[in-house]
Amino acid sequence: MNGRTTMPALAVENLAVLHGERALVRDISFTIAAGGVLTLLGESGSGKSLLAQAIMGSLPATLRCEGRVAIGGEATGAAAQSSRHAGWGRRLALLPQEPWLALDPTMRVRDQVAETYALVKRSPWRGARDLAARALASLGLRDAAHKYPFMLSGGMAQRVAFLATHAAGAPLMIIDEPTKGLDADRRGEVLELLRAAQSEGMSLLCITHDIWLARALGGQLAVMLDGAMIEQGEAAQVLAAPQQDYTRRLLAADPGSWPARRETAPAPEGGAIVQVDGLTKSFGRQRLFSDVSSRIAAGEIVAVSGPSGSGKTTFGNIVLGVAKPDSGRVQRAPGLAPTAFQKIQQDPGAAFAPRIRLRQSLRDLVQLHGLDWAQLEALLTRMRLAPALLDRLPHQVSGGELQRIALARVLLMQPALIFADEPTSRLDPVTQQDVFALVLEHVRSRGSALLLVTHDADIVRSVANRRIALGSGAPAE
Amino acid sequence: MNIHPSPELVIDDAPARRLNRAQLAGIALLGVIGLFALFGPWLVGIDPARQQLERFLENPSLAHPLGFDQLGRDMLARLAHGARLSLTLAGLSVLSAAIPGTLLGLLAAWRGGWPERVLAAFADAVLALPGLLLVLLLSAFTPGGFWPLYVGISLALWVEYFRVVRAASRILLASPHVEAARLLGFGPLHIVRRHLMPELLPRLSTLMRFGFAGAVLAMSALGFVGVGLQPPTPELGVMMIELLPYYGEAPWLIGAPVLLLFLTLFGLLLLAPEREAA
Repeated sequence: MNGRTTMPALAVENLAVLHGERALVRDISFTIAAGGVLTLLGESGSGKSLLAQAIMGSLPATLRCEGRVAIGGEATGAAAQSSRHAGWGRRLALLPQEPWLALDPTMRVRDQVAETYALVKRSPWRGARDLAARALASLGLRDAAHKYPFMLSGGMAQRVAFLATHAAGAPLMIIDEPTKGLDADRRGEVLELLRAAQSEGMSLLCITHDIWLARALGGQLAVMLDGAMIEQGEAAQVLAAPQQDYTRRLLAADPGSWPARRETAPAPEGGAIVQVDGLTKSFGRQRLFSDVSSRIAAGEIVAVSGPSGSGKTTFGNIVLGVAKPDSGRVQRAPGLAPTAFQKIQQDPGAAFAPRIRLRQSLRDLVQLHGLDWAQLEALLTRMRLAPALLDRLPHQVSGGELQRIALARVLLMQPALIFADEPTSRLDPVTQQDVFALVLEHVRSRGSALLLVTHDADIVRSVANRRIALGSGAPAE
Repeated sequence: MNIHPSPELVIDDAPARRLNRAQLAGIALLGVIGLFALFGPWLVGIDPARQQLERFLENPSLAHPLGFDQLGRDMLARLAHGARLSLTLAGLSVLSAAIPGTLLGLLAAWRGGWPERVLAAFADAVLALPGLLLVLLLSAFTPGGFWPLYVGISLALWVEYFRVVRAASRILLASPHVEAARLLGFGPLHIVRRHLMPELLPRLSTLMRFGFAGAVLAMSALGFVGVGLQPPTPELGVMMIELLPYYGEAPWLIGAPVLLLFLTLFGLLLLAPEREAA
């Protein structure tokens, strides 16, 4: 094990992941130098997570892999997945997607971190608790040591999960979508965490569809498409001068590079669809917002902005009539159907009855309102959705496709107002741009109003007519 | 169970809707037992109460495959009648616990507020009383009858269904897909049918399978302490108690109801979906 510093932290040769005879991931080769960073960029379904699982040796039993994986110079056949299990925590660690779901909800934070010290690093328990407390303090989590995971913010939970996975001193960490679903402030925290890890000499394999993060992390960058690595090189170079067509499209889809709203026409002056007056809402003792008044007119695109926890979703739900305000009132324009206000949810996977085939769900809707199935099919075609998709269950359809089906379902109702709650925060940039283009196209062509909640300031800048700012008690508008 | 055929999927990792081998075996086993309980008494065609004292404990023969019991009654006839009675009673009490329990659970989760509080308090009160005690109490009024057993077991069992359905429905009713369905204008019936029931049915079927087993065992136990159905009624539990003393001379006699009960419960367990059996 001497000369480890010169050994690459991770070397992958001709790795492939197969389902039966079909290759889901193929021909992957790369190395990460000790202390280096490789960012893996690609859209959902491009095989990034499968690649990480293959390296960890935790693929589902129905998949098998081929090729070679060398961790810290110790080479194993990729197929011998269990040979890498002994190194979990000690030689390689995985920071999972949405780490707040990966923490044990019934255990205090300090004990969770101490557990890794005690069980993986084999420190005595008493010492492990002290080590854990010190580690937490070093990341500014001293006060959180005795809290349970549900009491933490997303960023804090991520740091705790980082400590828990890193406690045994693994020099290589695989990080799966660390910024998924986080707003700009939290993304900054994640970046800081990763930079700190890097400065300690850790090697990182970061899987993401967040171009901002890839740019900020630097190091090496690889782009994946359909299970293959299509471009690899210095991050700065790839980002500045992408060689592949797909990479260019991917970079162009980043909201940061969307064109600013070319709104020469003044905000459309349709009649008011909904008028809200003096809305106030608190949860327990926490005041979300107070005295928000606004008037949303037909054809308007209104962004609701504010830091996480400022009640953006709650505000939208109140406008929809799904939630009740503590005080204030919501007045719909007279003559609107009860179904005139519709919502596009953040997680399309949760927006459909989970055990009912999509075709059945949509057919029920068409039947209920006496709509025309042909019209729905036309909508789906315009959204480039294959009709065969409808024969699947919701979880068998990718997020981007499902969000488009959800959009079609909402549009079918001819809504006067659509409340889009972070409609693309779980989608990769290309799909995100796609979905947004479709939303905007349909909203404009039908004159519906759009109430948009997003944490992405770039998107707001690019699409919204105006914004309603929610913040700590500050009256909006 | 859902045996309705679904169109074959050509997608990878589609959920295996087809029944696995264990489930098929369970269905076959329960089918045979069901047929035996349904048509057995008629096929055997012998009065289970008819005594031929001179033939007591006679060995099995072709005409009487299980021989005669201690009072010279045809054992196969008694087993068939016993199976019909026990399984019917268990099935009825499970259904009459599951249906109101589920409906009340849905109602409580849907309405919230005082109906939910009243129902939950009532359920807790029933739960505080051990189920067997409840049955004993009811049987004290009409000893040896069918109805107190049936009503008592149902009363003791409905609470489980109520609680499970209420807890699961509350979570489901707060989920984004139900919110979406409401916004799209769907009514309660649709939401129950498409959003709640598909999630609840697997849990209910687990509860029902265990409840069925529990009901059969409860009847046997009650028969054993002499408050359930009384001899000479051919009921599986009662028969076991009656035949226990003759274990040495004719083990097949007590073996028959025990084996039948075992196979029934085994068949029910085999029905469990794979992921639940782990």
